[in-house]
Amino acid sequence: MQTRRLTRDAMLTSVALIIFVIEAQLPPLTSIPGIRMGLANIITVYAVFAVGAADAAVILAARILLGTIFAGSLSTLMYSAAGGCLCLLAMLALKRVLTERQMWAASVIGAAAHNAGQIAVAVAVTGTIGLLAYLPVLLASGMTAGLFTGLCAQALTKRIGGRR
Amino acid sequence: MKRTFSNRFWAALLAAAFLLCAGAALLLWRTPGARTVARITVDGRVVREIDLTAVTAEASFTVQTPGGVNTVTVRPGGICVSEADCPDHVCVKQGWLEGGAVPIVCLPHRLVISLVSGGDGDAPDAVSG
Repeated sequence: MQTRRLTRDAMLTSVALIIFVIEAQLPPLTSIPGIRMGLANIITVYAVFAVGAADAAVILAARILLGTIFAGSLSTLMYSAAGGCLCLLAMLALKRVLTERQMWAASVIGAAAHNAGQIAVAVAVTGTIGLLAYLPVLLASGMTAGLFTGLCAQALTKRIGGRR
Repeated sequence: MKRTFSNRFWAALLAAAFLLCAGAALLLWRTPGARTVARITVDGRVVREIDLTAVTAEASFTVQTPGGVNTVTVRPGGICVSEADCPDHVCVKQGWLEGGAVPIVCLPHRLVISLVSGGDGDAPDAVSG
């Protein structure tokens, strides 16, 4: 069973990484920093619901680290890491009150938590409280993107089966 | 059996949160306030303040940061980053800042340009409109 688990996690990580690298090549949607589709999060949402907390955390951590090496820069690592941690924690907490048909809600709130983490790091790094003015626009766009990735994850779960 | 809520509950809650954020974002972006002084900070320290009402012609200057150099351009009522040697150039793409509350940021260089109200409190804020 260990081999099966390792294989599954490695496969999910590589899928997430491929999505992440391809998305990084696309031109940014807007000129506002920090606004992305976050398509790799489809895998995170799926993992939280279908493969459990520890595995989801490992997949996310591996994707963030490898994604930074392949397509990011060191200065973005802190933002991804803080956002990713908060997003994961929020979704794990929400899983307790959500069914598998409500993954979209976990994804939306997870995306909002991700943006809150990003802004917190940005405020800490630049020492400028004024960056909080970005929070509403980031939250609004993040929630929209989160809804989309959540619905994708939900469709994915439906297709390939839930907990295994 | 875990406690759950209906789809409708989550949809209503999240839609309300979204509308709140979208409304706040629009307000912060659009509302021109009494903010006429551009404050440039690097690493949280103010390096330069410019009263944009006193600017008469377009002019550029450079700001040295620990990460690199940003070229800042001012014109009457507005300020932007016109050139930068940061990796993503997000600060340049943000364009002109003219009255909104949302600052221009260059995260790799830890540079922030925000608009603050002139007079720093001793003059009453002008009523916009």
